[in-house]
Amino acid sequence: MNRLLRRASLRFFLRHPWQLALAIVGVSLGVAVYVGVALANDSAARAFELSSAAVRGATTHRLLPIGGALEESVYVDLVVRRGIPTAAPVVTADVVIAGRQGLRYPLLGIDPLQETGLRGFSSFAPGGSSDLARLITSPATVLLPDTLAARLGVAAGDTVTLLVGGRGQPVEVVGTVPAIGGDVQVEPPIVADIATAQELLGRPGVLSYVDLRLSAEQAGELAAEPPAGTALVALDRAGGAFNELARAFRTNLTALGLLALVVGTFLIYGTMSFAIVQRRATLGMLRAVGVTRAELLGGVLIEALCLAVVATSLGLVLGHVLATQLVELVLRTIGDLYFSASVRAAPPSPSIYAQGGALGLGATLLAAAKPALDAARAAPAAVLRRAELEHRARRGTRIAALAAAPLLAASAVLLLLGSSDLYMAFAALFAVLAAGALLTPAATVLLMRAIEITGRSVLQLPAVLAVRGVSASLSRTGVATAALAVAIATVNGVGLMISSFRASLSDWLETTLTADLYVGFDAEGAALGPADVAAIEAIPGVAGVSLTRSVVLPTDYGELAVRGVRPGPRGWGLEIVSGDAESALAEVAAGRGLVASERFTFARGLSVGDQLVLPTPQGERRLPIVGAFRDFNTGDYSVVMALELYRQAFGDTSLTGIGIHLISDADRATVERAVREALPAPTPFRLRSSETIERLSLEVFDRTFKITEVLRVLAAVVAFLGVLSALLSIELDRARELAVLRALGFAPRQLLATLLTQTGLLGAAAGLAALPLGATLAALLVHVINRRSFGWSMSFVLTPGPLLTGLALAVVASLLAGIYPALRASRVELGGALREE
Amino acid sequence: MTSADGDIELRAVSKSYGEQVVLDRANLAIARGEFVVVMGRSGSGKSTLLRLIGGLESPDLGVVRVAGKDLGALREAGRALLRRSELGFVFQFFNLIPTLTVAENVELPLSLNGVPRADAHRRSQELLAELGVERCAPRFPDEISGGEQQRVAIARAVVHEPRLVLADEPTGNLDLETAGHVLELLQATCRRRQATLVMATHGREVAGLADRVLAIRNSALVEQPA
Repeated sequence: MNRLLRRASLRFFLRHPWQLALAIVGVSLGVAVYVGVALANDSAARAFELSSAAVRGATTHRLLPIGGALEESVYVDLVVRRGIPTAAPVVTADVVIAGRQGLRYPLLGIDPLQETGLRGFSSFAPGGSSDLARLITSPATVLLPDTLAARLGVAAGDTVTLLVGGRGQPVEVVGTVPAIGGDVQVEPPIVADIATAQELLGRPGVLSYVDLRLSAEQAGELAAEPPAGTALVALDRAGGAFNELARAFRTNLTALGLLALVVGTFLIYGTMSFAIVQRRATLGMLRAVGVTRAELLGGVLIEALCLAVVATSLGLVLGHVLATQLVELVLRTIGDLYFSASVRAAPPSPSIYAQGGALGLGATLLAAAKPALDAARAAPAAVLRRAELEHRARRGTRIAALAAAPLLAASAVLLLLGSSDLYMAFAALFAVLAAGALLTPAATVLLMRAIEITGRSVLQLPAVLAVRGVSASLSRTGVATAALAVAIATVNGVGLMISSFRASLSDWLETTLTADLYVGFDAEGAALGPADVAAIEAIPGVAGVSLTRSVVLPTDYGELAVRGVRPGPRGWGLEIVSGDAESALAEVAAGRGLVASERFTFARGLSVGDQLVLPTPQGERRLPIVGAFRDFNTGDYSVVMALELYRQAFGDTSLTGIGIHLISDADRATVERAVREALPAPTPFRLRSSETIERLSLEVFDRTFKITEVLRVLAAVVAFLGVLSALLSIELDRARELAVLRALGFAPRQLLATLLTQTGLLGAAAGLAALPLGATLAALLVHVINRRSFGWSMSFVLTPGPLLTGLALAVVASLLAGIYPALRASRVELGGALREE
Repeated sequence: MTSADGDIELRAVSKSYGEQVVLDRANLAIARGEFVVVMGRSGSGKSTLLRLIGGLESPDLGVVRVAGKDLGALREAGRALLRRSELGFVFQFFNLIPTLTVAENVELPLSLNGVPRADAHRRSQELLAELGVERCAPRFPDEISGGEQQRVAIARAVVHEPRLVLADEPTGNLDLETAGHVLELLQATCRRRQATLVMATHGREVAGLADRVLAIRNSALVEQPA
């Protein structure tokens, strides 16, 4: 780059600090949003991996019960008869800290003496063997995570009360457990000796599972001949369902981050175009005095690169700050949905900063390439003529509109080709957005034409000026309108998807929660006999009960929650979405098949009619899938069969849930009291109303989408800045024209009104273009992205609320962005503006 | 320099741009209907004088009165009202509004003055016909020639029957033949409407047509023989 050209470029930006700031803010925000989301995702993902690995240690396999309980004798059998020394029995359940209802921690009951070969839990205890000895020898003693201890303000020797199944259990703290490893920020569980855990949980002699470190040979032998009522799973298969969900959730967030970067790129384009427009005369002069096209192109691109370096660096810092806020939201959401463990953020991977840097630099150069080429390609005289630019812009608008058709076709092909591929779905979604962006300028021109034609008899010339001004400044407004339309379409689309999802979830909860009260027992199940159930049924005000036994089985499809259900007077509470509902439920009731959650069938490619192979204590049992039911649960995949069939197949008569259906005029409090009294004394249980469950579910839902709201706001801010830079560009372009209007007698206020009308129209055009685009986006999110991400099908509810909000946002953002340029234009010093001719 | 029937009056007007003094205590009076040409070299201050008279710029010192009104005493909105009702402008580069058709450009001052649309349309068509550019009416400015654009600009400057037309180098961007024709049209159109015409130019040939010729020399406004 020539020394003088470089100096001219530098001086230009120094003389226009606001424009420089606008360009830097645009690039920085785009990079910051992408990096922020990517960092938060990465940090969360690593935290969960570390959390899982910390608990898993060197464990390779896990022996799980197939229904019913895992007796301690199985462990003895493994070690003594089969000679597997690297085996550690585990009892685990979530507990709540008394008085701190929001604090839910996993309680891990281990045998410290058996842990050495598998996990490093012995290193947890700072006091060394004395603490461990106390843990083993003293009943009701635990090691608390040090962060929890600090939060509760307790130290060794203090007592805390754990709520287990709704009942308070005081335990003595014998020490604290620090974070595992140096840089790992994982909250460890509350650790207790296995006997203590069994006692606290009311499960004497019962294990949750046995962790094993096996060679391939040992694993093969044990898998071929597992102890009765158990199955061996390799640990990379365990937790498949929630891993997939968490990954899908993070993919969705990354896509939103990328979208912010796309909108940011529009902004970069706008600001770089603005910088070219402002110097059109100078560039024309430079061409006239002999600067070559290549020199001019190189100069503009180097300028963009310098700007990109500064802005991207700032964006990386901003992204880092944003990530610290977002990561909490991501962790909370993933924790709410998929885990109950408490996890803190892990330090993110440095490669993300490199990615963000490359994206920022690349996007800026890409965005600057077009204005730079425009400047370089033009003949020296043409660079001076705005009419030439507008002529090109009009031609570009037509070409862009035509280019939208193949993009839409490509989107359709992508959707058809990858019927379950999430990345293909995102590619299709981005293709639709790109097509929408390309169509927006043409749609704007058509809209303005329509307004002019329909308003011909009423529009005064100042209004005509405003209407035509939108189309006449396409070289400036085209990209800004498209960016605004994409941003607003995103707001619309995500808003519609969320409202559709919420409506579907609410409907589903109403369908599913057929009972009025729910009694929940621990995962191990409560041994309730027919007399206990009859006692509840006999309570005055109770119309009937539904019974559920739910177990998680290791299957060839991954862990699967099998629910045996005896429906209550209001039916199964299942919404059948595949197969004939009536016959499917009749088949289930007759014990001739089972219904599977649609998440499960979608994820495993199963359909109605397929045979499902389930491990039972008597060996494998094949059952046909007679239907698929809607399921918005985020835990394990699940299937439902008749309770009688479950009991017959698994020989397990315990229950995990009772739904109590009340008669219409029943006194709920009295029934609740009677239920508590009717349940056998030592059985821990939780009693909740259907309203409470619904409210809690919707609260979790609302929390889940908090992060998308943040990203939507950021996308809107970036779009707002894009419009601002475009309007400033127009103001510069039309400075003399506006001065002439003033010379002809336009009062400043009148000119301000005309310019704001034009700005409002621009926003309205973008907002209107965003309506169909947003609705399409929402339909894709509802029917394709969510389906492929989570396996959820939901109804698409086209409510006007989110759409009107988007339209209003577009108009208001444009008007706000227009105030400053319009004020500047209306107050311009007329002599100066006219003198420049 | 005074005039008994002063339609335009400048009293001790000074104007500088930074260090450069353009006008120094200039006095001037122009009567209604006069055709005054202001001559001078490029950068001598001709355009500045016109912009001061048109209220597009304010003097550093002195008083500018147009149609009996002290421009310095008016707020910007008041000056805008005066411009839309009493003044017409013709610029060297025509300065037609690119997004309005030729007819709409001419109708614009009428529209601003609240003239009903049908009336404004009729008057603009008549004037365009009078200036020989009626066929350009539905076209946009960039679709017609420079000479046609300047005739449209003249039509826009006089359509609302202003007292005063300010023309800044109106022929500076036209070839000799077209320039002569445009000049005749401008003068005749103003004369028919008894409008005062103040024209800045550096072409001596225009001076022969004017009632009075002024020149700006060393920041002073001096009268020259016509």
